Parts: sequence; C-alpha cells; structure tokens
Amino acid sequence: MKINLSQQIIVFSVICAVIFTILLISILWSSITIDLAFKRENYAQKVDNHTNTLKQLMISDDIYAMNYNDDSWLYWQNKLSTLLKFPPKLTAPQKTIQQSLKSQNENVRHLFDQIALSRSKAVNSSVQNHFKVRLMTQLESIRSDSVQLSSIVKKDIHQVIKQQVIVIIFTFVLCFLIVIVGGIKLSKIFTLSLKEVKQAFEANHSGNFQEITLSHHTDEFESIAKAFNAMNSKLSENTVSLEAMKKIVEEKTKVLQQLSDTDPLTKVANRRALFERGNMEYSRGIRGSNQLTILLLDCDLFKSINDKYGHLFGDEVLKHVCNICDEAIRDIDFLARYGGEEFIVILPECDIDGGVDIANRIQQLLAQQPIKNNSKLVKLTLSIGVSSLSANHESFEDLIGDADKAMYIAKERGRNRVEVLSQSALH
Amino acid sequence: MGNKISIIVISSIVFGAFALLYVNAKHLWQKEQYPIVIAVSKTPLSSPFYVAKAINAFEATCVSVTFEPVIGGQAAFSKVMNGEADFGTSSDSVIAFQSLLYKEFVSHAMFVHSDNDVKLISRVSANISKIADLKGKKIGVTKGTASEYFLSTLLALHGVSIDEVELHHFKPEHLNSAFVNHVVDSIAPWEPFAYQSAMQLGDDVIVHDTKNLNTLSFNLISKQADNYDVEKAKCVLEALNTAIDYIALHPKKAQEIVMSELGLTPDFIAWVWPDYIFKLALNQSLLLSIKSQAIWINETQMMNLKDIPNINNFLDSRAMLQVDPLAVNISL
Repeated sequence: MKINLSQQIIVFSVICAVIFTILLISILWSSITIDLAFKRENYAQKVDNHTNTLKQLMISDDIYAMNYNDDSWLYWQNKLSTLLKFPPKLTAPQKTIQQSLKSQNENVRHLFDQIALSRSKAVNSSVQNHFKVRLMTQLESIRSDSVQLSSIVKKDIHQVIKQQVIVIIFTFVLCFLIVIVGGIKLSKIFTLSLKEVKQAFEANHSGNFQEITLSHHTDEFESIAKAFNAMNSKLSENTVSLEAMKKIVEEKTKVLQQLSDTDPLTKVANRRALFERGNMEYSRGIRGSNQLTILLLDCDLFKSINDKYGHLFGDEVLKHVCNICDEAIRDIDFLARYGGEEFIVILPECDIDGGVDIANRIQQLLAQQPIKNNSKLVKLTLSIGVSSLSANHESFEDLIGDADKAMYIAKERGRNRVEVLSQSALH
Repeated sequence: MGNKISIIVISSIVFGAFALLYVNAKHLWQKEQYPIVIAVSKTPLSSPFYVAKAINAFEATCVSVTFEPVIGGQAAFSKVMNGEADFGTSSDSVIAFQSLLYKEFVSHAMFVHSDNDVKLISRVSANISKIADLKGKKIGVTKGTASEYFLSTLLALHGVSIDEVELHHFKPEHLNSAFVNHVVDSIAPWEPFAYQSAMQLGDDVIVHDTKNLNTLSFNLISKQADNYDVEKAKCVLEALNTAIDYIALHPKKAQEIVMSELGLTPDFIAWVWPDYIFKLALNQSLLLSIKSQAIWINETQMMNLKDIPNINNFLDSRAMLQVDPLAVNISL
C-alpha cells in the first residue's frame, strides 16, 4: 500500500486534535453539569433549611394558641413557596420530587390556614394534636423530599466526576497509544527509507550504480528514489563513455609516445628516446656502480651511396643497418638513431670488451648479409666507436663524446673498424 | 488492503460469536423467576404496576407477575392476608386501620401519593355548601379505609364531630349507587368513583374543594417478610422504579397505558393525573402519617384499643434499601 507521509502526519495530528477537542468538550460539559448539580444541591439545602425553620416554629410555640405569631410562620412559608416556584433546571425524576415538594407545601399552607381558622372554635386537644402531627408530617415529607433530592444530586456529582475521570484517562491512553504506534510506524518508515537511500548513495560512490529499492512505498521517498534512479541511469551511461574514452586516450598516448620515441624511417628509437634511456642508464650506472658501454656506429661513405643509388636506397641502407644491429645486440640493449647515418647502441651491464665484441659481431653480420641494389651487391661498412662509463664521465653526453671521438679515430684509421679511445684521451 | 479486510472479517466473526453467546447464554446468568400474584387495586394510583407490565419491566427482574384486580386497598389487603396474593396495593389509611388489628404484614415502600384522591361529593339538593353543613346529614363511606379517615379529619378540621353526622358504610363500588339512589346525601369516595358520580349526576353534584387537606399514599404490602419475600419485594420494586422513571419521562404514553388497562377516558385521566406524584419512598413522613392516623382512628373510637402498636414493625426497609437507598429516610 502506498503511503503519503505528509498526509499521514496531517491525519495523525487531526485525530489527536479531534480527541483533545472531545476531551475539552467533555470537561466543559462536566463543569456545566457539576455547576448545575451544585445549584440543585444548594436548592435542596435551602428547602431543607426553610422546612426546618418552620418545624422549629411549630415546636417552639403552640400553633393553636390565639397569640401564635402567624407573621413569622407566614414569612417563612412564603419564603419556601417563593423558593419552590423557581427551581433550577431538573431532570424528569427530579421534577417528580419537585412536584411532590410543591404539593406538600400546598398541603402545609392549606393545613395551617385551616388550623388558624379553627383557633376561635372549640377544638378538643386530640383533634389539635392530630392536626399538629399532620402538619409536622407534611413538613417532614418536604424535608424527606429535599434530602432525597440532595442525595440524588450528590450521587450525580460523584457520577459525573467518575465519568470525567474515565473519559480523561481513556482519552490520554488513546492519544498515548496513537502517538506511540504512529511515532514508531513513521520512525520505522523514515529510518528504513533513509538507510535504503544511503546504501544506494554508498553503492554509487564505489562505482556500483545501484537503484534505490524502497521497502515502504511512501510518496516522498518514492519521488527521491525516482529522481535518484533517473540520475543514476544517466550517470551510468556517461561513466561508461568516460572509461572508453580513457582507454582510447591511453592507447593514443601510447601510440604518440611510441611515435615521439621512434625514428620514423628506421623504426628504432630516435634521439629523444636515446637521451631519455641514456640518462636513465647513466644515472643507474653512477648510482649502482654498474657497467655501461655504448657503441657509436657511422655508415662509411654514406654520402656517396646516397649520391650513387639515390636517397631511397640510402634509406634502405639505414634500415638494413638497424636490422643487423637488432640481430647482434642483446634484449636488454638499446638501439637508437643518433642522427643522419649515425646510430648508438646502449649496452647496460657490459664492459668495454663486451662492447667491442658486440661491435665486431655487428660488423661481421653486416659483412655476411650485404645489401643489394638491383641484385648488385653494394659495399657497406661501419666505423664504430666504443666507450665505457668511467668516473670521468659527468654526463651521458660525455660518454657519447668519447664514443664519437673513438668513431672518428676509426674513420681516420681507414673505416670499417672498431676503436676504443685510449686511456689518455678519455674524457 | 488485504490486511484491513482480514481485520474486518476477524472482528465481525468475534463480534458475531459474542452476540450469539450472549443471546444463547443469557438464561445462564439470568436468575430464576419466582411466580407471584399481586392484588392490584383498580385505580390509576396503581399506574406504576400497569406501566411496569406494559413495558415488560418485570421481565428483567426475578419475578414473574400475575395481577389480581381488586377494588380498593382493603380488598387487596385481604387477598394478601388470606394468601391469595403475595403482594398488594394499600393506602396508608388501610395500613393504619390494619395495624391496630395486629395483623402480621409490612409495607415495603410507598409508590404514589395524592393530595386529592379522596373527595367529598354532595348533591346540590342536599344544601351542603360548606363542610359544617354536613351536620345531621347521611354520609356514605367505606369503613376502615382512607374514605373513613378522610371524612373524620375533614369534619374535625371544621369543628364537626363524627357523632353529629349519620354514617353509612358501603363497599367502595357501592358508594355511587347509594348516592345516586338518595340513600345518602353525600359520599367520600376515591377515584374513579368520585369522577363517575360527578359525571352521572352532572349539574346536581357538588365536588367540594378538599385538595391539599388529606394526603393519600399507596404502598406495596405483603405478609411479614422473610429473606425470600424481601428478595421478591426487591424485584417488584425494581420494576416499579423502572415504571416510575418511564412515567416521568413519557407521561403521555404512561397515561395511554393506564387508560387502556382500566378502560378509562382521557377526560378522567385529565381529572386525576395532575394530583398524582409517582415516586418510591420509605420515609419518616410515611411512618408519622400511619402513626397519626392510627392514633386518630383509636381516639375517635372508630376502633377502640388500649395500646397503639409500634408502627415501625409494619415497615420493612430491606427491599427498598437494595433498590433505591437514597429514597429511604427512616431507621428501623
């Protein structure tokens, strides 16, 4: 069942308000009822008092005596009659008592009048006594009725108070239960729904795009869930593209990196990559006292090959030299084009003799695998300068400088040679 | 939604089961009803009995009631004393007369009083314009009843001795014919006989204004009661209490019930009803009234006894104290 929290809270408040209004009305009603009951009680009390006064007047003097004070009697009799004329609002059974009171009062009045009239006549004492008792009996009847009315009213007051206490206790228990049950229910809905929303956010944060699934279907939380789920769906689409983009960029970067490090003609490392790797190997050599040797290779008479066979063939020559070198060097070695027809091979963990051996092997392989131009063998040799890292070298460039010097010595000494710079000429 | 439906269904089943149980098991907690006979005087003063029966007020109590209609409280009293009825309706005057005979009976409560039920009626031709004119006249009364007491006090109040009039005793139902047939000049009947005479003779009748000069009450009486009788009396009084509340709340309906039960006309009801005050009570004034009447009866030699019995012995408050203790204002 779908719940609207705001509506629930409003309904909840309205119910409580209605119950409290009922309670208020009930208290007002009780107060009016008790007030009326007190008026009735007061009335009954007054009737009782007046009747007692009349009884006193009867007891204190002989009502048959000629000098009896009629004025005093009539004063109280009139007072009682006036009081009985204006009773407070009474219930139907109380009205019966009121009717009885009035009737008895009339009896008293008539009987007194008859007694007063018969004073002048010779009335024997037994007759006198009888009518005195009759009058007293009538007054006693009034008193009995007023006492009964007073007792009924007192009982009514107790009953109203009892009823009111029950109503108040019942109302408070009802409100208390509503507040407790309603509060727990709403709190449960809030807590669980918030937990579910939080879980979805956390899942989202860790890249797992999870929809909010609510246990309690409330309008408010469903609207949040709907908005979140819509946002989530779009976000997940966008995030997939971003990852793909990242992959492409990485691939492109790798390609670009390769392009920037590679000589476009020979496909070996270019001068920038040479210095990057060279500087790294130099630092490692210096730091770890590792051996490092480099070869500087220069194609002999490359200009005349270019001139004679054309630049395209010249390019082929350079590629061929690279292929030969690749074949001759170890996996850990690094071949790069230094410039024009010059190449450098970095030989980590390799001493000068090792370097010379590799240089010789290159020359041997080049001799064994000559290059042909239109099936015609073309003579191709390399002058190779070898230098090995020493304490004198302050940079990788110094090491290249020594290899370069050795390579020129090889050129001077007739080309197609491997030369190592003498100790004295070392940088 | 499903939950709500199941709650409604379960609630209905539980409610239905309780209702069924209540209807079927009602007799289990309902007490056994004692069959009783009440000798009810055929007068509107007995209205609470007729109303109680009409509204089934006795059914909710422990008694199953049969009415024995009688004319006058004295007849009702006799029925009770000779065992033909368990309870009866009698006026305080009858109680006063019977107390002097040391009969073993009690009054459980007074249920109505009127200050104008017994009336003095005379023919115009008898020239009785005031009470004193009754001297030497033939007056019809019912001996040993409120009628006799009423006349004697009325005469005394106006300075006429009972010896100065010629008393003729009749059964209450015969007073009217004696009056109409000129056997007597005046009668002291109670209702409805006073009304019947007034209607029958029309302009040839004077109904003397004696209102407020005598209060007559009607009581529920029985033989001296053991606990068993008190229990029955309690149940009768409970039903009377219900009927009296009904009369206070629905006077018109109550009047219709009484009219139909006694075959009365609306005119008659309008004639007597305002004088009646229906309420249950057992108070000091009743005791005083019976006592004063007993003394009066004895002193005026309507009866002649040395000692007046203790009137307290003729009132039994045990049943009334269980029904409406607030209406009991007497220590016995």
